[in-house]
Amino acid sequence: MIELKNIEKYYSSKGIKHYVLRHVTTTIKQGEFVSIMGPSGAGKSTLLNILGMLEEPTYGDYEFMGENVTSLNERKRIELYRNHIGFVFQAYHLIDEMTVYENIEAPLLYKKVGSSERASRIANLLDRFNIVAKKDLFPNQLSGGQQQLVGIARALAAQPSIILADEPTGNLQSAQAEEIMQLFQKLNKEDGITIIQVTHSEKNAEYGSRILNIADGVVKDDIRVENVLK
Amino acid sequence: MFRLNLKIAIRNLYKNKVYTFINIGGLAIGLASCLLLILYAQYEWNYDKQYRNSQNLYQAMINFKDGNGNITRTIDLTQNVMLESLKGDFSEVLDGSRVTNLYKRLISTKENSLKLNNRYVDADFLKLFNFKFISGNSINALNEPNSIILTESSARKIFGKTDVVNQNIRFENQAELKVTGVIKDLPTNITYGFETLTTFKLYENLNVWPKKPNWGNHDYYTLLKLGDHTDINAFNLKLKGYVGKHYPNAKEEVFIYPLTKLHLYGEFANGKSNGGNIKQVQLLVGLSLGILLIACINFMNLATASTQSRGKEIGVKKTMGATRTDLIFQFMIESFMLTFISILVSIILLEFALPKFNQLLDIEIVFNYLSPANWILICGVFIATGIISGSYPSFYLSGFNAIKALKKTLNFTNGYSLTFRQILVIIQFSFSIILIVATITIYKQIQFINNKPIGYQSNGLIEIPHEGMLYQKFNLLKSKLLSSNAAISVAQSSGSLSSKNSTTRGLIWDGMNESDKLIDFDQIFTTYDFLKTSNIKLLYGRDFSEKFASDTSAILLSKTALKLMRLNNPVGKTISYQGDKRNVIGIFEDIIWDNPSKIVPPMVIAFADISDVITIRLNPKESLTKSVQTISDVIKEINPNFPVEIKFIDSLNEDKLKKERILSTLANLFGGLAIFISCLGLFGLSSFSTTQRMKEVSIRKILGASVNELMILLSKSFIKLILLAIIIALPIAYFIMDKWLQKFELRTSIDYTIFILSAIFIIAIAVITISLQTYRVAKIKAVDTLKYD
Repeated sequence: MIELKNIEKYYSSKGIKHYVLRHVTTTIKQGEFVSIMGPSGAGKSTLLNILGMLEEPTYGDYEFMGENVTSLNERKRIELYRNHIGFVFQAYHLIDEMTVYENIEAPLLYKKVGSSERASRIANLLDRFNIVAKKDLFPNQLSGGQQQLVGIARALAAQPSIILADEPTGNLQSAQAEEIMQLFQKLNKEDGITIIQVTHSEKNAEYGSRILNIADGVVKDDIRVENVLK
Repeated sequence: MFRLNLKIAIRNLYKNKVYTFINIGGLAIGLASCLLLILYAQYEWNYDKQYRNSQNLYQAMINFKDGNGNITRTIDLTQNVMLESLKGDFSEVLDGSRVTNLYKRLISTKENSLKLNNRYVDADFLKLFNFKFISGNSINALNEPNSIILTESSARKIFGKTDVVNQNIRFENQAELKVTGVIKDLPTNITYGFETLTTFKLYENLNVWPKKPNWGNHDYYTLLKLGDHTDINAFNLKLKGYVGKHYPNAKEEVFIYPLTKLHLYGEFANGKSNGGNIKQVQLLVGLSLGILLIACINFMNLATASTQSRGKEIGVKKTMGATRTDLIFQFMIESFMLTFISILVSIILLEFALPKFNQLLDIEIVFNYLSPANWILICGVFIATGIISGSYPSFYLSGFNAIKALKKTLNFTNGYSLTFRQILVIIQFSFSIILIVATITIYKQIQFINNKPIGYQSNGLIEIPHEGMLYQKFNLLKSKLLSSNAAISVAQSSGSLSSKNSTTRGLIWDGMNESDKLIDFDQIFTTYDFLKTSNIKLLYGRDFSEKFASDTSAILLSKTALKLMRLNNPVGKTISYQGDKRNVIGIFEDIIWDNPSKIVPPMVIAFADISDVITIRLNPKESLTKSVQTISDVIKEINPNFPVEIKFIDSLNEDKLKKERILSTLANLFGGLAIFISCLGLFGLSSFSTTQRMKEVSIRKILGASVNELMILLSKSFIKLILLAIIIALPIAYFIMDKWLQKFELRTSIDYTIFILSAIFIIAIAVITISLQTYRVAKIKAVDTLKYD
């Protein structure tokens, strides 16, 4: 599904290149649950952003579903956002002025999903995440964990094939974090959604199927989780 | 999507109440003034265009030439024979009418007597203008010399009803007229308006001078109707030398000018139109657009300044697959919604403002809610405003990079470079500063003129028209008034003290040279007690006195006249005035008779029993209302057929500066609005930027900065903009106001105090506005801000 070849990212200032990512080459298949790990400043988030096409690599090739997207035009990229990619953020990034219902509905509106279809999908998600009672509340009326649930529901609304999550539990207490991780695992196993998350926590990484360890912009390890657990 | 965007827009407005208030308040004021001025421009634009024949109506005008053939002056009055002559000589002229000046004439019936504005016109006047007749008809209403046409409201004033055809009216106490028509009231935006219309034939019957064909005097307006598609330029070429053919001495040319252009482009220089009321229209439209622009700038500034709070929303939406167009559309919806609410508020404001505005400019504009044109106008303004104020924020905000927007790394103050937003603030304040300078300069000019000594004591001085029985019984009136104790002095004169009405040239005196023949002297005729009544100061000699029989051929000269005539020991000298020998018996201090902004010309006061006005000095020891009541009782008793019209010289003089006062009021008003809206914007902007710098302030506080230091820090960037605006605006303001002052012969100077005052004023207002915000932030508890970051 995703193929990275020799991805590099650097910023140059005063003639000196500051590398954030170097020679990142990897393949992520449909249905994988990948955790990107590493110390602060290692380049995890940059890699995730490049995967999410929010940033462009300075060098290298990136193929998403068989299509080279390194220099994709705006229109095509937006098409991918609408149909294939869902984002989950550490700070949830729900839109404060919208209710829970409307937040989940927003991507469907951009995708131009018909109103009855929209209603049934949202009802489904609300039901599944047990937040039906909260649908008319605004984000600031919810706890962090609930907000993140809404964030995930929003990411799922457009029925993406991949979810990109940047430290989804970073702001949450451990009980809530666990809940979110179980949810991710379930989505991955039952719905076959590819998930890529950035995380600090080994425990969270264990929910996934594969771990990419990054340090100083370079992929140090690429390990299967079951091997670790053994 | 649209519905959700709308909902979010409403929630956003509700959440940021201050921001909403600033935007709606500013925009509503801007829109109201814009609508008001567009209505006004429409009103002025439609002047004289309401008639079926409007496009074919022309007025004959005269260009006067000097010896070299240069045009010195253009007037709109023509000779009494011009019309007949043109009609006879040119087949292009289909119809035409002479029209006299508007003049208040006495209209009386058995029950009622009052004065109404009347014009004498030829019968064909009704062919030029298709008035709407309620009764009577336009074919023959003015055929009989003793006919009179009334407007609906004058009919009501006279008879209390409009069904009055064939009723009799006594006119000027001289003629019996029959009402032959009642027409609907005229709009106020026409040049030749009236309350009553009488025939030119009647005018000739009542007076001697109009009847005699005369190519020398210019007393009447000549209106013409030409055929469709007449080439006006070709016609004017044919008129070259036309007056000379009939009157060989004439140094003048007649030409025709479209009536529809007369009002807006009625001022001439060198025989060419160089504007007119259009200048005032342009000025007001410019002002109102300026105000609206300032309000739009507020919107743009505040919307883009909210970057940080909107950044997240923009970023998230982009990752959900929103295109830039989607976002532009969303911000446009917000802009249009604000504009929509503002328009509703502005219509309310407009309703409140219209009566005052009408009163100020002496016009009659109503906002007709049923007229589709008005709604099209409003829609036009709505769309234009929505687009102008929404465009920049939409493109600016929608262009954010999603990552940066989410990471909150967007900042808008880097170094000393001017951002677009700062330029907008500078534009706003430059506009306000120019208006402040204008306001102060206009005020100073009015004060300058007002402070000029008027030459007599206008306070406690009243005048009444000299008419009817008051001619025969003037002495009786005088003695009754004096004995009643209400007045202490009474005099008659050929004109009012407050307005110039006559000049003469050709005085002859010993020692004069050739060029002195061309000096124009103001002249006024009077008998006894004129100086005493008016308190004009006598410098040498004495006033006319009944003790000296020879005073009936005496004359008084003003100080300026004396200076120009270069007379030594003038009192007792004899000069020739209008062919008569006149004895100079006194010299008086100059008085301001004409427009006070003009240089005072020389003046003579000559003894002659020619009188139009009676001037009365009230007894200062009696109460004003009582004296006025007594005086009107006395007048009523002596002259029962005429309504009593008492005017105060003070208020007549006030009216002379009416135009300047209106301008002053407008400058005050618009200046005030501009400053208010600009400050609203500044308030909002400083609120956003100081909130953004909360963290910086907290850290500085921990490092030991005082509240004062912090306030200076936070205000500095704004004060810098205001200073820049001052530097830009002052030269522009100087240029504009200097040009304005050139209109006046006597004018105040624009000195640096005006600039300093304006600068201090605007800085003070800006500092106060900003401080409201900076103080709040500077006082904040550091720990609260840092905790959440």
